[in-house]
Amino acid sequence: MDRRKFLKQSSLASSLFFVPSFVRAFEEVASSTLGYKRLVIIQLSGGNDGLNTVIPYRNDVYYKARPTLGIPQKDIIKLNDEVGLNASLKPLKRLYDKGYLSIINNVGYPNPVRSHFRSMDIWQTATDANTYSQSGWIGRYLDHYGKQPHSAIEVDESLSLAMKGEQFNAIATQDAKALYNLSKDPYFKNIHKHKNDAHLSEHNLGYLYKSMIAAESSAKYIFETSKTVTSKKEYPNNKFGKQMKTTAQFINSRLDTKVFYTSLGGFDTHVNQLNAQKRLLGNYAESVEAFVEDLKDNNTFKDTLILTFSEFGRRVKQNASVGTDHGTANNVFIIGENLKKQGLYNNMASLSNLDDNGDLKFEIDFRTIYATVLDKWLEVDNKKVLNKAFNQLDFI
Amino acid sequence: MKTKHIQHLYRRIGFGILPATLNKLSKKSEKAIINELFKASKQFIPLEVDTSEIKAIYKSAFMKGEKLDAETRRKVQKLSRMKQLELNVAWIERLANSQDVLREKMTLFWANHFVCEDNSITYIQQFNNTLRKHALGDFKAFVNAVSKEAAMTKYLNTKQNKKQRPNENFARELMELFTLGVGNYSEADIKESARAFTGYSHNLQGDFVFRKRAHDQGEKTFFGKTGSFSGEDIIDIILEQKQCAKYICGKIYRYFVNDLIDENHVNEMANVFYKDYNIENVMRYMLTSGWFYNDQNIGSKIKSPIEFIVGLKTIVPTDFKNPKQLLYIQKLLGQILLNPPNVAGWKGGKSWIDSNTIVLRLKLPSLLLNNAYISKEKLGEVDEYAQAKKEAFKKKYGKRFKTVANWEYFNTQFKNVAISDFQKHVLACEVSESAKAYLQSLEKVSKKEYCVQLMSLPEYQMC
Repeated sequence: MDRRKFLKQSSLASSLFFVPSFVRAFEEVASSTLGYKRLVIIQLSGGNDGLNTVIPYRNDVYYKARPTLGIPQKDIIKLNDEVGLNASLKPLKRLYDKGYLSIINNVGYPNPVRSHFRSMDIWQTATDANTYSQSGWIGRYLDHYGKQPHSAIEVDESLSLAMKGEQFNAIATQDAKALYNLSKDPYFKNIHKHKNDAHLSEHNLGYLYKSMIAAESSAKYIFETSKTVTSKKEYPNNKFGKQMKTTAQFINSRLDTKVFYTSLGGFDTHVNQLNAQKRLLGNYAESVEAFVEDLKDNNTFKDTLILTFSEFGRRVKQNASVGTDHGTANNVFIIGENLKKQGLYNNMASLSNLDDNGDLKFEIDFRTIYATVLDKWLEVDNKKVLNKAFNQLDFI
Repeated sequence: MKTKHIQHLYRRIGFGILPATLNKLSKKSEKAIINELFKASKQFIPLEVDTSEIKAIYKSAFMKGEKLDAETRRKVQKLSRMKQLELNVAWIERLANSQDVLREKMTLFWANHFVCEDNSITYIQQFNNTLRKHALGDFKAFVNAVSKEAAMTKYLNTKQNKKQRPNENFARELMELFTLGVGNYSEADIKESARAFTGYSHNLQGDFVFRKRAHDQGEKTFFGKTGSFSGEDIIDIILEQKQCAKYICGKIYRYFVNDLIDENHVNEMANVFYKDYNIENVMRYMLTSGWFYNDQNIGSKIKSPIEFIVGLKTIVPTDFKNPKQLLYIQKLLGQILLNPPNVAGWKGGKSWIDSNTIVLRLKLPSLLLNNAYISKEKLGEVDEYAQAKKEAFKKKYGKRFKTVANWEYFNTQFKNVAISDFQKHVLACEVSESAKAYLQSLEKVSKKEYCVQLMSLPEYQMC
């Protein structure tokens, strides 16, 4: 039993009795100094072309299927004799060289859906392709293990389905000050001055009051905690760069938050893909590298795992507009300091054994990645969150 | 009819009621009021934005027998996106200003039952009007119409459902979400009924097309019956199940009466509905039932974002000068009309509320109507700086939303309402003790300021 678990369990035992406040204070200090594992999710929206991201540059089928879209060998950052990265991913290659990156290839799910909305929905709710859910996987994690709205933060204006549970929701903010300002009109404080108001126990109205009080307190906590830290790192000056910078600020101020959710859109490259994707991947990689360095400077990288996914990959064959159409399986990036399996986690997908649409046949169900992260990183029971048992992988 | 009950009725089948109408109705009987409601909703008035440009493109391609080339497709998509925004705004205006308020509220209800979404403005507008047309009609005709809508055959892949390669998506959701509810059918029922819906498709203009060659005419066994069933036959058999009436009534009850189901009330409704599947009849039964007006049902539901926005516009007519801001508010509140999260729709009830939406809902009335200013003038103490404060608020927040609130209309409407009665017109439920105490400590500067104060309460979220 490690110290953290021991502390957790012993505090559980002692909570049966009266817990002296100094014990609790000690516990808080202990857990923050002993480390606090958190997850950062980066969603690439629009369906990133995985085959031009992680490239099988020795495979003739690849160049045959993509006569004007295939990336020439000379432009590829080689990882080994078979596989290389898109040239705009240099910063990611540096993370790879340090052993911070694990690339999981050919990730998908059975009966793939090629609609953006629906496929994103499946990734966010972690359901089968033929089931619909009104709660997301991080939301359900919060249902069971969340304490406050800020237990999970979406660095955006409003919450994705991924962050909404059956009973409990995360909080969204890309500007802690603005959220705090919105919530702090004294009028709102004054209407719930008296505690133990009978209304608090009422079914719906009580829920509204409780939500209001929790929101006010989370908004205040996020603002007051995060304002103590400013990032000195340079990030790309755009929305995603700012999102990652804000996330780093939140983490480095030691916010008591387990999951952060960010996203970068624009990957729906049906037309003239090469430059568009280059720009997007470049932005992604530069932001992530700055983020990792920012965390390392503040000693928080070791407790942070970054998961990057997209709702689907794209068709193997290029289309008539030097772009690609919606496909199926794709790669997932895991970034962290103590990865069990660094570099390429598994082989690239077969480009000759395709489905009827000419799309990749997936090998790894994305929910096995979620299950692994839930169990081995967030240390919770993945079955409670995913409503089903999945095998685990061993990248962490 | 008691004013309290009329208000409850109008908050549920509409978005609230103004004092003059309330006063007029309070002299009438419940029966007369409800008769009038249905009478006003007899006619179906389609909601349409001008799509002639797109229709012309479709038509000429159709005449030439050609498919659209990539460039034209992109043009149509761009136009479509613009027009979807227009339709969204027009729908909200319709909700706020319609004479046939019951039909419109029902349309909103069905839009979260037969959930559908499509990029094409012509298809989704047509779908939306199908909801409106059947909103109070025959449920069987309704389900059949929905199954044949271009937008639906696209959304749930009936288009791809072919004899050689059945696609079960529509068949599954037809039973799981549209008629029976999860667990009330078998996987075999899904497989067999999917075969019956093979061949359902549409042409470019959005008309239903039955592709005979793609249809599986073979025998199917469904709910213990065997025959060479068509899609219509399958819907007949589904509606023979009492469970269908129960499932639909449960949904209507949760939407119009209470999140928490009373089995007896739902069973009563299901008995009525099962007789002829006439939606008007079951609605009439529900609205004339004594239990509909029980105290525990009054002011007990959390407004949806659309109910919140339209309700606010009902009391203080508010014009959004920039329609994109109206869409943006819907996004932040978690419900964009025409843009549901998935076919399961919005969960509703408590799930409308998270930290972000509650904070925004409390702040939005003051932001939209009063430059973010909520008066906190103490009782009996005249705040000399109130005007200066308001000016400062206007400077700081006034530009955030380009809205024009018609307070003159409000003042005329509420002129004869005593300040002591005012609260009942704005709030559907009792105010909590601490909020009450705080409000009593404040000066009622004007009805306008008082209105903003009341709208900035958690209680205002209830209907």
